[in-house]
Amino acid sequence: MGQAARATLQLGRSVVMVFGMCLFVCVLLIAAAGTLIVIGAWLFPETVLLIRRIAGAKRHLVASWTGSEIPQAYQPITGRLRERLRTSVRDPGTRSDLLWMAAFYVYGWIGLLTVPLWLLGLVVDGVWSGLLRRRPVVLPLISRLADLEAGWSAALLRPSPQAVLAARVDELTETRADAIAAHGAELRRIERDLHDGAQAHLVSLSMRLGLARRAYDHQPETARKLLDDAQEQAEQALTELRQVVRNIHPPILSDRGLAGAVRALAAGSGLDVAVATDGLADDGPRPPAAVEAAAYFAVAEALTNAAKYSGSPRATVRLERLRTGLRVTVRDEGTGGADETGGSGLIGIRRRVAALDGTVTVISPEGGPTVVAVELPCVW
Amino acid sequence: MRVVIAEDNALLREGLVLLLTSSGHEVVAVAGTGPEVLPALLEHRPDVAVLDVRMPPGFRDEGLRAALAARERIPGLPVLVLSQYVEESYAAELLSGGSSGVGYLLKDRVGRVDEFLDALERVAAGGTALDPEVVTELLTRRRDSPLDSLTPREREVLKLMAEGHDNTTIAKTLVVTERSVSKHIGNVFLKLGLPPSDSGHRRVLAVLTYLKDPRSAV
Repeated sequence: MGQAARATLQLGRSVVMVFGMCLFVCVLLIAAAGTLIVIGAWLFPETVLLIRRIAGAKRHLVASWTGSEIPQAYQPITGRLRERLRTSVRDPGTRSDLLWMAAFYVYGWIGLLTVPLWLLGLVVDGVWSGLLRRRPVVLPLISRLADLEAGWSAALLRPSPQAVLAARVDELTETRADAIAAHGAELRRIERDLHDGAQAHLVSLSMRLGLARRAYDHQPETARKLLDDAQEQAEQALTELRQVVRNIHPPILSDRGLAGAVRALAAGSGLDVAVATDGLADDGPRPPAAVEAAAYFAVAEALTNAAKYSGSPRATVRLERLRTGLRVTVRDEGTGGADETGGSGLIGIRRRVAALDGTVTVISPEGGPTVVAVELPCVW
Repeated sequence: MRVVIAEDNALLREGLVLLLTSSGHEVVAVAGTGPEVLPALLEHRPDVAVLDVRMPPGFRDEGLRAALAARERIPGLPVLVLSQYVEESYAAELLSGGSSGVGYLLKDRVGRVDEFLDALERVAAGGTALDPEVVTELLTRRRDSPLDSLTPREREVLKLMAEGHDNTTIAKTLVVTERSVSKHIGNVFLKLGLPPSDSGHRRVLAVLTYLKDPRSAV
């Protein structure tokens, strides 16, 4: 009985909706007519947006009955009027929404069947199960009716594979542009580091060697001093180079893989760190190098912060292989209240992770604990 | 001394051979790939081995693994491991089998010929040579520890001690008398709560153990 009541409510909403939409069709017609004259050009994209919202409401309604979300994939309607108009017309979502609307004008009224079904059900099931203690027959039909209606709606509202692909392409285009921008910035940074650091030292070294050669015969003492300077310059150049390399791709990642490198970080952090790995074998498949590097730097940053600010001597690091990528979690039992605006380290991590289409979440309530979670999508 | 060299870069390998032979040492074998290292060490049993961490075919840490394997087969075999970059955990692995006859240095240090040869001889004689960068890392990452109570001079002494230098060298480096070095060392051990120790590698080990263990921070 309760089930039947809920189904009725569900179908009732549909009927209300289809009724409302009959009113809407008038608007639609006006818009269509308006499009023919110039003012309508502005109205059309707005109408498409309205249709999307109606379809969205229906998706929500169906999802609340079936319990499974219906995905949606629309192209964003933005930009100048001409672009908005073009997207509104070209988006496959517009066509399928209109198709659903047309169909819904027909099948939406199915909910009205509940009225006779209730009357019949109360009489028949009242006798059948009330007096004869049999399973009710008619009232469950209302539920089936709601299932049927939801099924049709879900089938019609589900975006076509092309639309899903189009949405994914849009998303990838955007993240790829970000990644290329980040990559470009990274290259410029490396170039600047090499130019200002190692290269400058090498020039200075070469200069001192030249001077030492000139002084060699007549002023051996000066030559000796110049050689000392030259060696110092060479050592500084090497130090700079090591730093640059470490920032591009920490060498220990190549040597030991992510799990090994993180264990080394943990050992050197000054904290008592427990490292747990899930699905990362030392000799098994490895995530892409960029993902490993981003994860490594994220752990390094989180552990540095934990050592500096948390006040806790302990932390845990967790590396998990997911079906969709890699998840890294760093947790400390410290005082919490981490303030991201203060430190610049985390911003660099966010940029690095975002360029790989990943996410960084920092949860740090006052009183702790602080949890930094990084998810990096990848195939491996 | 009889030396075995393992280094895959031909330029560096020749440089090392030149450096060692011109300073009166004998290079008995040269290994260019990871798998060649262990057999060469076992066959020649050198006075000291100079090994590069990264070697073909994997270009990971073949040299380090070979060093550990060799020291398991020939206990106390002196090895000086060279690396393009220093990694504290590698130092820890090398020292885990005892700090006697172990060296871990940046490749850059080879440029300072005298210091490099000194480190090599120290390792061959059963001492320790640890790269200043590793020691600096160990010293700087510790916070709120008794290290803060050390005077700047005591810190310098502690650093040189952790690198594996003996009192004479420390005194020479800091341009002070050996007596005042002993006094500083006594103070360091007292402040860090370490049992007083002689000047051997046991002293290095005590200091390193102290620096490595986060829980020893009070």
